[in-house]
Amino acid sequence: MAGQGVRLSRPNLLSRRSLLCAATASAVAGVAPRAAAFGQDGAFHPRLLLNAGRPLDAAHTSGTSRWSWELIRRTSAPARLTVGSVAADSTELLAEPFTVWLGSEAVAPLSEPEVRGLRTYLNLGGVLFVDDSNPDVGSFGRSVRQELQRVLPESPIVQLPQQHVLYKSYYLLDGPVGRVKGLPYLETIAAGKMLRVVISSHDLVGAMAQQRGGGWTFPVEPGGQAQREFAMRLAVNLAMYVLCLDYKDDQVHAEELMRRRGRLRR
Amino acid sequence: MMTTTWAITDDVASWVVITTAALLVAAIGLLVHELSSRRQRSWLIFTSGVLAAACVALATVRPVVVEARANLVGPRVAVLVDESRRLKLRDGNSTRLERAEQAVRRVVEHYAGARTSVLGFGEGPLEPLSLGPDSDIATRGSRSDLSAAVRDLAGAAGERPRAVVVVSDGRFSRPLGDLTDPQLREAVGALGVPLHTVSVTDETPDDASIRSVRAAGVAVAHQPLAVTVEVGCAGEIDCSRIPVRIRELRDGVPPAELATGVAEIKDGVGTVELEITLDRAGGRVLEFSLEAPNGDVIPENDTRHMTFVVARDRIRLLHLAGRPTYDVRALRRWLKSDESVDVVAFFILRDSDGDEPGAPSFELALIHFPVDELFTEHLRSFDAVILQDIDAVRYRLNSHLARLAAYVQLGGGLIMVGGPSSFAGGSYAGTELDSILPVEQPQDDKAFDAKPFVPRYTEAGHAAEVTRPIRELLGDSLPEMVGTNFLGQARPGAIVLWEHPELTVAGKSMPVLALGEAGDGRTIALSVDSTHRLAFSPMAATVAGRAYGALWDGLLGWLMRDPRYEAARVEVVGECIEGEADTTLRVTRLPGMRGKLELTIEPLTQAGGEPLVREIPGDSVEPVEIRVPGLKAGGYTAKARIGEAPPSRHDFACERGGVAWADSRPDRPRLDAIARATGGTSVGLDGIDELPLPEATRVAAQREVAPVAPPWVWTLAAAVLLGVHWVARRNSGLL
Repeated sequence: MAGQGVRLSRPNLLSRRSLLCAATASAVAGVAPRAAAFGQDGAFHPRLLLNAGRPLDAAHTSGTSRWSWELIRRTSAPARLTVGSVAADSTELLAEPFTVWLGSEAVAPLSEPEVRGLRTYLNLGGVLFVDDSNPDVGSFGRSVRQELQRVLPESPIVQLPQQHVLYKSYYLLDGPVGRVKGLPYLETIAAGKMLRVVISSHDLVGAMAQQRGGGWTFPVEPGGQAQREFAMRLAVNLAMYVLCLDYKDDQVHAEELMRRRGRLRR
Repeated sequence: MMTTTWAITDDVASWVVITTAALLVAAIGLLVHELSSRRQRSWLIFTSGVLAAACVALATVRPVVVEARANLVGPRVAVLVDESRRLKLRDGNSTRLERAEQAVRRVVEHYAGARTSVLGFGEGPLEPLSLGPDSDIATRGSRSDLSAAVRDLAGAAGERPRAVVVVSDGRFSRPLGDLTDPQLREAVGALGVPLHTVSVTDETPDDASIRSVRAAGVAVAHQPLAVTVEVGCAGEIDCSRIPVRIRELRDGVPPAELATGVAEIKDGVGTVELEITLDRAGGRVLEFSLEAPNGDVIPENDTRHMTFVVARDRIRLLHLAGRPTYDVRALRRWLKSDESVDVVAFFILRDSDGDEPGAPSFELALIHFPVDELFTEHLRSFDAVILQDIDAVRYRLNSHLARLAAYVQLGGGLIMVGGPSSFAGGSYAGTELDSILPVEQPQDDKAFDAKPFVPRYTEAGHAAEVTRPIRELLGDSLPEMVGTNFLGQARPGAIVLWEHPELTVAGKSMPVLALGEAGDGRTIALSVDSTHRLAFSPMAATVAGRAYGALWDGLLGWLMRDPRYEAARVEVVGECIEGEADTTLRVTRLPGMRGKLELTIEPLTQAGGEPLVREIPGDSVEPVEIRVPGLKAGGYTAKARIGEAPPSRHDFACERGGVAWADSRPDRPRLDAIARATGGTSVGLDGIDELPLPEATRVAAQREVAPVAPPWVWTLAAAVLLGVHWVARRNSGLL
């Protein structure tokens, strides 16, 4: 009979619902964990970039777990609820193609190994999401831009066009919002059609941050809960872009999405 | 017979003779010029001068008398017999070949006094024929090139023939039938002797046939191709309208009906233009057949089998993924990076049974997964389908799996990539699709194993061209894979490239990456969902992420029969004709391919047939030619396997008669024209006695050479005459 002789047993596959229930209280781990279950190796994982050994802002980082949770709840994509962190000069940075760099203060200049590590990561096809937790001050964003110019000196930072597939990779969106309304656009460093770096001045992760008891960590201004919903939609779109790239730019989607976009704008 | 002639001695070079003659003429000219200016002419001066110069010249060239005895022998006559396969066509109760043999015997009898040599022409060089009482003429080749035969005869060493007799039905490949006399002389007049022709038959058979098939340009997969079929019909049968059909012969399934039409016959010939679309690249065997009218006496040329080489402009892929993951991302990124690949992708982004997007559908960028439309209307347009971690039941693929299996049997490609919802985990076990995969699937509840492992190359994996690109980058190293689908053992004929280092099935290591053939198509089973680590991982970074493309280049290339990923190249040497000489297949190994060669030949039929297997031991890099006897008309697939490497496939056609029988009409007017243009005589079998006899050839038997006078006589005469000339000049005051 087919399959006879297979020796090892397999673990039970967790259902998506049970996975969500089990993980609602997940927290950010100190070291990025590797996938341990079949099917989880390719799961979305918004791991955090460690900044020169500085401790991560726990109030914000809980937002990345919520990001994964929302992705699992809203879409078919698998995601890692226990989010790890990774250093820019670590070989672990090259283990997965998505990394989040967030902060509220100016970052210290990257060391040469960190610059090389990030450059290798981005050249290999990794996507770096930069999220300014304190865009009103903007010191984090400015310092990160300076460091990115060291990492990719030939690549300018430009505005992400509103027609970009990132705004239609799952939800149809008109623009970016986060905990704050921020700039009406995202910024990017791209290689052709591939986004390498996406820069948000909206504290997107902050809009998803949760307290241990379950409430939201930060109020969302000025739009309140509706704005928080659109921030989550942007986060889902960003995750979907990382997982599917320009899939929604395919011709088979074009006509229908154009029709829906027109209906939304009316 | 005795003859006497004069000549110049043999030991004087030609240039000496010419120079001597020129000096003699110049001396006489000067003498005439000198004497003509004098009032009183001296005939003594002129005569002595001319004779002295002549004697000097004769002393130089020394003339001789040649007495020869000669014999007359019969003229040499060459008889050229058409040996093309066309001569095997029936003509009443015999064949044209048998009539040609009769004609040759009678020609040889007619030229009994001549020295006749009988030579066969067709394809290739002239061949001497020996026509004993029991020996027959064997045919060779489809063509009968009289122009080349005459040219070869003219270029041969030895005595040229005084006449040539051509025995044929006149339907030559060359010279063509519509040439003028000067053109014909140019084509067959190299010998400068008459070409007499003997027509073996003047009877046009009652026959409809496919004369030719022409395609407008190159056949490209998925693109319509205009094909013009020329149908001939002659004799006493109803030739007004003849239906024509084109089919594609395939392995293990019924032939595909490509097009039908009707040829309207006018003046014995008609054409029908049909449009066909071939979906699979590579050599495809097409069958062109006509519905012959009642009374057709040559049914063998009602059907032609031809191999069409179909090129691929672009590869069109259908990529279906059950959920978006980094593995899906890596595959999509690679597929989209290749300009020669058209990808139609559908990823399940939302499961309507469980996911809660929290927005009305018009705020979502999601479209309906058109599974029914894809698998009923568009499946044929794809070169290959990639199923990546997509559940067959949940996403309603299960009702189309039989169609998908048939699509593969007809030449499509299929890759199933691992994941929790692949293979048995996606409810594919026990389905029609399961049966065409290169591996069996467990039917119990164990769908996958979560333990990380590093796959191991098998012996075939080391030998296969398909893995050469990645092995060149990473050697035998592979990244760690996080779990695997459980797979059963490899099906017969499948090739396992990667295996699990710990899991076993039926006593052997469990396959991880396996290749297989199903009918005309190819399939790949990959049990893991972590090959994205070849694109993005610390190991991937050591080769700039190129290992992923190297793996998938090989897999997709093999799936699409890219010659770069085949272990060997197979080709048919010459033609494959039923009932003729053995068919020769040449197998050329790719550099580095080791191991014995196993060649398997099977007919392209639904029922298949007993495969013909040849094994050639050894590692020789030289091309191997394998003779295969007894192939009937139809399509065949030849699979050459080198050592443990996946087999390379070549489809080819065998014909009954082929192009030689495509036009069965004899062409007596062409024979008449050739004879007329070269000064020969054209006759039928009954008129061989009317062929003119060329003149006999004279052959010298004895030859005696004697000088007219010894050299000193000419020298003495010249000295005396010069003395007389000097005295005469002095007496006349010319000194």
